[in-house]
Amino acid sequence: MSTLVAGLARRSGRVGHAIGRFWSGISAVSIKELRGRMRGRRAFVVLTIYLLLLGLFAFGIYVYLKQQAATVGFSTGIGDDFGRPFPGGQTLGNGTALSAGIGHGIFGGLLFLETLLVLVLAPAFTTGAISLEREKQTLDLLVTTPLSTLGMVIGKLFSALTYVFLLILASVPLASLVFVFGGVGPEDLVRAYVFLFALAFGMGAVGLFISALVRRTQTATVVTFVVVLVLSIGTAAGHQFWQVAGRQSTTSSGLLLTQRTNRAPEPVLWLNPFVAGLDMVCATAPDTYHQSCEYISSVTGRPYFGSPTPTIQPGIDFPADGPLRDFVEGEDGAGARPPLEADARLTQAISFGFPRDTFWPKSAAAFVGLGVALTLLAAQLVSPSRRLRLPGRPRIRGRGRGSPPPDNANDLPSTEAAS
Amino acid sequence: MTTAVRTERLTKRYGRSLAVSGVELEIEAGEIFGLVGPNGAGKTTTLKMLATLLPPSAGDAEIGGHSVRREPDAVRSVIGYMPDTFGVYDDMRVWEYLDFFGRCYGLSAARRRQMIGDLLELVDLADKRGAYVQDLSRGMQQRLCLAHALVHDPQVLLLDEPASGLDPRARVELRELLRELRSLGKTILISSHILPELEELCTSVAIIDHGRLLASGRVEDIAERFRLGAVYRATVLGDESELARAEQHLASHADVASVVRRPGSVLEFALRGDVDAAASVLTSSVRAGIKLTSFAPAASDLEELFLQITDIRALDATQPEART
Repeated sequence: MSTLVAGLARRSGRVGHAIGRFWSGISAVSIKELRGRMRGRRAFVVLTIYLLLLGLFAFGIYVYLKQQAATVGFSTGIGDDFGRPFPGGQTLGNGTALSAGIGHGIFGGLLFLETLLVLVLAPAFTTGAISLEREKQTLDLLVTTPLSTLGMVIGKLFSALTYVFLLILASVPLASLVFVFGGVGPEDLVRAYVFLFALAFGMGAVGLFISALVRRTQTATVVTFVVVLVLSIGTAAGHQFWQVAGRQSTTSSGLLLTQRTNRAPEPVLWLNPFVAGLDMVCATAPDTYHQSCEYISSVTGRPYFGSPTPTIQPGIDFPADGPLRDFVEGEDGAGARPPLEADARLTQAISFGFPRDTFWPKSAAAFVGLGVALTLLAAQLVSPSRRLRLPGRPRIRGRGRGSPPPDNANDLPSTEAAS
Repeated sequence: MTTAVRTERLTKRYGRSLAVSGVELEIEAGEIFGLVGPNGAGKTTTLKMLATLLPPSAGDAEIGGHSVRREPDAVRSVIGYMPDTFGVYDDMRVWEYLDFFGRCYGLSAARRRQMIGDLLELVDLADKRGAYVQDLSRGMQQRLCLAHALVHDPQVLLLDEPASGLDPRARVELRELLRELRSLGKTILISSHILPELEELCTSVAIIDHGRLLASGRVEDIAERFRLGAVYRATVLGDESELARAEQHLASHADVASVVRRPGSVLEFALRGDVDAAASVLTSSVRAGIKLTSFAPAASDLEELFLQITDIRALDATQPEART
């Protein structure tokens, strides 16, 4: 990296100088912040407590699922509704291998808990980054150095995220427990961690931006957590409301498939980390039916072939004789088929499964995009000379007719007369 | 002598109110230049504009030949700025604090090590190297803040009320430090409303009030321009009759405008004229057989100058320490 920087510096002095200031900004600020953050026992005590909590949570899920399996197993009888044998004979009530169910449960639980932690911690670490400098009156000291404000802001973000990343990475060994139970592949875990990093970056930038925008840390904290709530609960509620309102207007057709045309716009939920989590949970669902898949299906509009047997999950929105059968039967235009053949095709469709990665990559990209945009805006807000003005503007203003001339003092009287 | 700082009709407007209005300054390299004025006069705004923290509404300023408008980055690398209300990163050690600013200015590791040692020696904090900034006294923090402004060896120092909140001893130390910096060839622009402190230090001053520059130049030159008479105090040895005789003598002297009695056998009198008048009053008093134990200017020149140039009521309204 340093050779690259040096090479650029040779090619163009100004650009090289700017890049140099950018890098020294990142390194100076992040080293300083990390020194403060990692000093003493606090950071490591927090890490330990966090891991203990995660471990306890995973263990709780394990115990709960095992108990549930035992009770459900006794009431409905251990077995598979499709007659497929499971090695060891241990299954969940709806015919899933118990072990895979536990793996899936722990994966989903840990993903939920870590999403929640990142959603809260990443903005919490950055929401004071700039407003605290303003309050402690140290920002002027920083701004009068030749640091680039973008480098400074990125340094702040980087140092705050380093600790969040440390928390995320420290949970990897615990999360890999799911491999013991099966049902979740390494690629699922990689997906989950990629998403958590994107989420941490996006939410960290949200905190940073609000910190630069709002002068007081207290206000910034409140605003940040309102934003977190809106993103996590508000978007889902809004989306649901839209969906329901849309459905009401089309129930007259009686066809569920018409819902697709009136779906609420999917981007509303891109910044909701829990929906992306559901997508990943759905991908690992050991079951023929999973509510997460159904929700994602209602969001993305992709058809989802839930379980064909209503006894497993009564009261689901996708009745077996609804669009599902329409789809299966209408696939090759043949309307009337013997029921047995249709069931066989149904099983095929189920084993094909729900399409993977339909939602979360968009969500991760949205968080990264948001992060980049807000970081750039925060740098603009910190810079004293360019408060949210485009870089080209001041020069144009200087030459403009009605605006104050910056360069020539002789023009002053005319300016004052004009204003 | 080259010009280190020059402002041309420097103006800052906040909405409709003018914080700084057309200030023109010219500061030679190697000077200690005092910016004098009551609270709210526009001193801090002027310094902030020079430090590139506030863009001027009109006019421009040049530091080391660089315009604060067009080349703020170049200006930042030649100035060291110490704000009036400064914060310190309290969760850092003293050496880390300076190391951080060294990194900000892109100094190499070797240069940073050297610089930290030198600066801590200069501001007399060498034995506090490993201490936390929050454990330092106010005076020490002030010196550390001054050290931070020197990290990159700037040619121009902009110090906003550097002595506020310091005890007398720390003030004396600060004054010594600034003299030492001047001897190192730095140009120092210092703002204060504590005048005696500036008078002993500054080679030139600018008096500013309500955002306008009232006078600037060497203290003696300003005094001459405004043709001010000085106020002197004399302490008389002897009893009440002796004091009355002295008072009568002074009042009858041609160079004395008025005489007032002060407690402790002290007579305060305003002169019509400058040092020559004072010498003539002293000579005539001694000839008249009046026993004087002291004979000296009552207030500092600068204080006197300041009170006469600016509106006295404006100063009363804003007593020292009740700063904005």
